[in-house]
Amino acid sequence: MSAFGQVKLVAGREMSTRVRDKGFIVSSVVIVLLVLGLMVFQLVSGSQTSTSTIGVVGGTPQVEQALVRSGETVGVQVEVTELADEAAARQAVDDGDVDAALLGATGDSPQVVVQDSSDDGASAIAESAVGALSVATQLGQQGVDLQPAPAIDFVVLDPEADGDTTAVLVALLGVVVLYGLLILFGQFVAQGVVEEKSSRVVEILLSTMRPWQLLTGKIVGLGLLGLAQLVTIAVIGVVGALALDVVSVPSAVVPTVVSVVAWFVLGYTFYAAVFAVAASLVSRQEDLGSVLTPTTLLLVVGFIVSLQAAQDPGSTLATVTSFVPGLSPLVMPVRMAAGEAAVWEIVAAVLVNLAAIAVVVRIGGRVYSGALLRTSGKTKLREALAAERG
Amino acid sequence: MLEFDGLVKAYGDNRVLDGVGFTVAPGQMFGFCGSNGAGKTTTMRIAMGLARADAGQVRWQGTALTEATRRRIGYMPEERGLYPKMKVVEQLVYFARLHGLGSAEAKAAAEHWTERLGLADKRDQRVEKLSLGNQQRVQLAAALVSRPDVLILDEPFSGLDPVGVDSLADALLEQCHRGVPVVFSSHQLDLVERLCDAVGILARGRIVASGTVSELRAAEAGRQLRVVVPDAPAGWAGAVPGVRVVSEQRGDTVLDLAPGTDDQAVLAAALATGRVTHFAWREPTLVELFRGAVSDRAVAA
Repeated sequence: MSAFGQVKLVAGREMSTRVRDKGFIVSSVVIVLLVLGLMVFQLVSGSQTSTSTIGVVGGTPQVEQALVRSGETVGVQVEVTELADEAAARQAVDDGDVDAALLGATGDSPQVVVQDSSDDGASAIAESAVGALSVATQLGQQGVDLQPAPAIDFVVLDPEADGDTTAVLVALLGVVVLYGLLILFGQFVAQGVVEEKSSRVVEILLSTMRPWQLLTGKIVGLGLLGLAQLVTIAVIGVVGALALDVVSVPSAVVPTVVSVVAWFVLGYTFYAAVFAVAASLVSRQEDLGSVLTPTTLLLVVGFIVSLQAAQDPGSTLATVTSFVPGLSPLVMPVRMAAGEAAVWEIVAAVLVNLAAIAVVVRIGGRVYSGALLRTSGKTKLREALAAERG
Repeated sequence: MLEFDGLVKAYGDNRVLDGVGFTVAPGQMFGFCGSNGAGKTTTMRIAMGLARADAGQVRWQGTALTEATRRRIGYMPEERGLYPKMKVVEQLVYFARLHGLGSAEAKAAAEHWTERLGLADKRDQRVEKLSLGNQQRVQLAAALVSRPDVLILDEPFSGLDPVGVDSLADALLEQCHRGVPVVFSSHQLDLVERLCDAVGILARGRIVASGTVSELRAAEAGRQLRVVVPDAPAGWAGAVPGVRVVSEQRGDTVLDLAPGTDDQAVLAAALATGRVTHFAWREPTLVELFRGAVSDRAVAA
């Protein structure tokens, strides 16, 4: 059997056992639900136009029109209900059938009835409607024929900026998902390494393959699973967002999502290798936290910087960190989405990350080999390097 | 032939192995004995590529073991090792495939060995749910599932009840009959004596005695004779030259004969006392051989 055959077997086992793992299933469902929930929330909060019902006593079509129009200017849809008299108006307001009632709109002493003074939205609409009516009436009496104001044509000088804002938002969302998945799958890798060590099954495994094959198989297997999960989320997110009209600029979304997925591959490989090597130093799940903390902190820092970068993608901090291995997978997608990163910068960041991965795999592979068979207590990094297959 | 040749291994100043060498023929069951910390596990781990020898090598059919040939070895580590959360049959299929079996072949082998070792109804259980005895059986199945060419087992009998010992012994003998060389280490010397064609005793990094059990017995200097003469007076044998009385109890006498002593002279002396109900060479048990071998070295060192 070829060297690759063993890697494939290890990867296959990782995937098939993890897919049936309760923790994995639950986390997948939660993430998908979160993405869907977020979209629904966006949809509801974005398309929400408030409505206001205003009762009118002795109204004319002009009154009704004036109310609707003055509602429009403040973004409120006004429904007008005809009421018989003042008593009916008071009753309707009291019952909550209408938000406000307008009496004698065209007369000399118009009156607005509201339940309490806190509902100034409806009363303000009524007030401005009365004002408008009064002006129109007075102008009409002076013989002025009122022309409606001309429609305004808005000229947007930088339509791209609109897309960039959407893209940054999408990138930010992507980075949140990416951060979650990096932590999740990094943990999976680490737990798997310690499980093999603590159950001593590693001794049987290493009698059939080399440590690098085990390490590679583990990282590849879980990585494919993570990638599948990310792509699923991305597809659901993009299709859902476009279908529900949450975002209006598909060209801003798709490339950003693709870059997030690509950066996941780089980021995951880096973190999975570091996590696996760190985990190989301990032999009990309880000790895992202490060796993973430094790496987890790096991830958290990357996440925080990426949040900052979303606000100010051109900042020095964002620019510098987008080249730092371990940080760039979280920061660079945001800068790219904001249109702040030049092509050479992206290429350079990718190369730096690839180089970092090569170094981690090379040195880490030695640590992993050295530490894997030391199944008692914690192994020091230096000992592991010295003891490679000792 | 499986040959262990001149293995040397030191951890710092501690020379664990100092030229360990022995050979195991196909179909031979080799019992590997030694005190705790003598280096049995290290020797086996070197064979499995889990530790690197400072000098010496392990050969199978004349060539040093490689990654590929090691996959044809069934191995049971001292510490054991199974995935606790994996189902029995999946685990066995995985190990079989790691040892180079195809998918269908591996499935059939896993079915066969679970059946054979009485785990048929446990196939779909997670290993962590099994009793220790059953986990041990799964461990053995993991070593056997790939139809290995060689078996190397570190303390396979420890922790087994007598029934488990018997079924494991049967399984190992069956492998020997297939022509597989089997090496196993054990502290249960009676078991080694019962099962093994050949024995190697490891003490302080060297094989201090090896060969078949009868060879070891023959090599033992100062042979012992047990003579039962019910009517003899006490001290009847003391006069025979070259004979030392080890114990004497109502005519049941154990005598230590110096090399070159004529056992027929002893018989004549015994017959002179009257009835002789028992006259035979007393075979030292492996335990006695082991003690002798280990302590000889201790004195020499």
